[in-house]
Amino acid sequence: MRSELTRFPLIKSLLKNRWPQMVVLFVMLAGFLFAILSGFIGTPVGNRNFGIIFVWIAWWAVLILVAVPLFGRGWCAVCPIPLPGEWLQRGAIMDPPMKKPRWFNLRWPNRLRNIWLQNLTFTLVALFSSVILTAPKVTAVVLAAMLFIAIGMSIIFERRTFCRYICPVGGFVGLYAQAAPLELRVKDRQICLACKDKPCYNGSAVGYGCPWDVFPGGLTKNTYCGLCMECLRTCPYDNIAINTRPFSADLSKPPIRMDEAFKAFIMLGAAMIYAGVFLGPWGTMKLAAYSVGSLAWFGYAAAFLAFIFGLLPALFLGAVGTGKALTKATTTLKKIFTAFATALVPLGLMFWVAFSMSFVLTNAAYILSSLSDPFGWGWNLFGTAAIPWQPYLTTLLLPLQTLTLIGGLLWTARTAQKVGSEVKVTPAPVILFSTLVTIFMLGLLL
Amino acid sequence: MKRTELLSRILVITGILIVLAAPIAARAIGAQGVIEVHGRIAESGGWTPSTIRVQAGMPIHLRLTSDDVMHGFAIGQSDTPAVDVLPGQVTEITLTFDKPGTYAYYCTRWCGPNHWRMRGIIEVTGEEPVSPQVTTPPLYLMLNLDIDAPHPASVTLDRIPDAQYGEQFSALLPAAYLTPDYYRSHSPAQIYLDLRADPALVSLAGSDIWDLVAYIWLSNTTPEGLAEGQRLFAQNCAACHGETGGGNGVFSANITALAGKTPANFSDPAITLGASPALLQGKILRGGMGTGMPSWGPLFTDQQTWDLVGFLYTFQFK
Amino acid sequence: MKPWFFVALFILAGAVITFAPLPVTAAAPARRTFRVEANQFAYAPAVLEVNPGDTVTIELVSTDVVHGMFLDGYGLSVTADPGQTTRMTFTANRSGSFRFRCNVTCGALHPFMVGKLQVGKNRWLWRAIGLTVLATLAILILPPNFPKAETG
Repeated sequence: MRSELTRFPLIKSLLKNRWPQMVVLFVMLAGFLFAILSGFIGTPVGNRNFGIIFVWIAWWAVLILVAVPLFGRGWCAVCPIPLPGEWLQRGAIMDPPMKKPRWFNLRWPNRLRNIWLQNLTFTLVALFSSVILTAPKVTAVVLAAMLFIAIGMSIIFERRTFCRYICPVGGFVGLYAQAAPLELRVKDRQICLACKDKPCYNGSAVGYGCPWDVFPGGLTKNTYCGLCMECLRTCPYDNIAINTRPFSADLSKPPIRMDEAFKAFIMLGAAMIYAGVFLGPWGTMKLAAYSVGSLAWFGYAAAFLAFIFGLLPALFLGAVGTGKALTKATTTLKKIFTAFATALVPLGLMFWVAFSMSFVLTNAAYILSSLSDPFGWGWNLFGTAAIPWQPYLTTLLLPLQTLTLIGGLLWTARTAQKVGSEVKVTPAPVILFSTLVTIFMLGLLL
Repeated sequence: MKRTELLSRILVITGILIVLAAPIAARAIGAQGVIEVHGRIAESGGWTPSTIRVQAGMPIHLRLTSDDVMHGFAIGQSDTPAVDVLPGQVTEITLTFDKPGTYAYYCTRWCGPNHWRMRGIIEVTGEEPVSPQVTTPPLYLMLNLDIDAPHPASVTLDRIPDAQYGEQFSALLPAAYLTPDYYRSHSPAQIYLDLRADPALVSLAGSDIWDLVAYIWLSNTTPEGLAEGQRLFAQNCAACHGETGGGNGVFSANITALAGKTPANFSDPAITLGASPALLQGKILRGGMGTGMPSWGPLFTDQQTWDLVGFLYTFQFK
Repeated sequence: MKPWFFVALFILAGAVITFAPLPVTAAAPARRTFRVEANQFAYAPAVLEVNPGDTVTIELVSTDVVHGMFLDGYGLSVTADPGQTTRMTFTANRSGSFRFRCNVTCGALHPFMVGKLQVGKNRWLWRAIGLTVLATLAILILPPNFPKAETG
């Protein structure tokens, strides 16, 4: 079922050579800085500002509808945010790394070697999302903050600690990358075991040690491999491969941890809340979500947190507990809980795909106008500035969303069955839970 | 340092400089010779700049944009058509002022209860001194009307007075009642009393007299004037006074909360029939009255004010 | 019985749920007028329910700034200033659930200012729920390793 892409010389040399990726990264960095600039000096009207439209409509559409489902962490391979920090950390853009580290080069604390901080940063962004999504200056501040935090962390810590432990996007991209039909793996683990220097992890004259703090020889899941291609360049035995594979290949692997399980709840819950707040007809809820600092917003925030960290996990726990009781399983409840939470990965991803479809199709027209007039200054670079707004393909929307959600449910149910046979617990209650949240999401979207 | 490293550093630095500097440079170049005017709702600051200074006879190029919701732009007391000012989009107009003086510019699309506060000033300076314009003061000042005094009319109408019916008695009507001077300085209720007391009309019933009052009103308007008045009312007045004049427009609740009074209800005969055109003119021009009624003096031409006044009586007459 | 038999059965059932004509409720077409108030960032009422064939008039009343209404599926739109009610009249000849959206930038949350026109019962939702339940049943009934068991 696996097929190695790197066996094609063209693909291999495109990935191995630094320039193709670097050129893409340069363009991304330029676009990223341009988005920050437009947020600060462009029009404060969100739907006419390049920063808002290109980050929250164009980039988001590509990320959630294409990149994550098909390429997993493919976005991370071309993400510009860690670049300046990484260049400072290495003291080089293309040159081989220095023998001695330039800066503090601290190791990331063991207690924080999980994605709880990412859960926190994503939740924070999510709580303020109606402001971040609509106010260009706020978007610019958030993007600039990410850039500067990444720079600061690159100087203090070794490798890419921002990407692995802080980036609010990185957490869920990693979680959902497990379901993607693309992976980086070693061809033969024996070679890695015999390899002394491990240049893929430690770096060599031809490349940097894994920025993601991963030893490729031990890779079993996509979650924390950023597809940066360094190990492909450093491996002296040509033992690294990029493979296509069946969807959800990692989901039958060792179960996710509690921090990752909660990431799954955060994503599942946030998709439902957003479908209600942004796509629903309830104006009071929109205003409450927007009026940051007001009493109504605190109510919204409390409900948001209670739903994601209280209600959803509690219902899921109930389902898992019922399964355990029915099967009289001896495995600890915590283990069963996290194991079954793996099954929520496809469902959460498909919830986001379905939600983003309406969000993206109804706002896609702004992409054309803000491409021609990125700052709202009356420019018309490509002649598309005056294109009138209209939603696209809305007749296809409902059937597409239905198919997406049901597809996600089938996928999740199958995964739950696999998990169930591994932990020897009936998956039926978890499947029922998934069916109910799917029906709830259908009710919100249709 | 290898050549690739040098090349990539040059690429990155020039790339960043271009991306950041090019838009700023382009903006600086594009800003030459134009004035950028930003519109925001009055609560967030209204127009920026709120005063535009310009030489008489010199064209000024304005780039209008809104930072929040839809606004409009027009020059008070002028024939230049209003333009829309769209959020995040730019509307360019070129204006030339021939005479020195102070002109008002204002928002033409309702953007909240304080929409009418969204005004600015264009100061036009020039060679010729700003001569005090020799215009006659408005009629309500000439008549020395107290426009803040209550003016209820105690009238009872059997039906809506109809100018068409009134026309059939017009032969009886002494010509003095049809002059603009008479019409403008008398409320319909006063006209009714005058006509009722006139020996020439003694044969007519009360409702016939009212039809004649409506006829006098209609004779002092034109269909074009009424249409213009209707347009002005819809654009400027209906948001508070209601689309059918009932004093119940979408902002009437705000007005009531603010001023303790509801906007005038033109469908109430006691209010409308007790007001002379001159009195209504005064209220429109000066505004105020502690009711949140804006002052429209700087915005409407004399003719527009009279058109609007004429239209207000359509809430009582047909 | 072979799993493929169940698969065929489920596909058939799915097709029935998706496409089966449902009895049309015999409501005579009527004229309906809705006064819809628009303010930042919602419509009131936000959900309009009509029967197929009705002649629908929507009076759009803006109560703060200029708003608009673009009706998905029908492709109709109007804009309204405060104090200037506008009307949109159409025959509700397409059944289903249609979003209507503000089409005049009216502030920060403008892109999310939406309401819903429901023509007839929301049958698609019920069909979708039916399909969801069917999908769950299929998963529970078919062997967990299907279709791999067939291919070996």
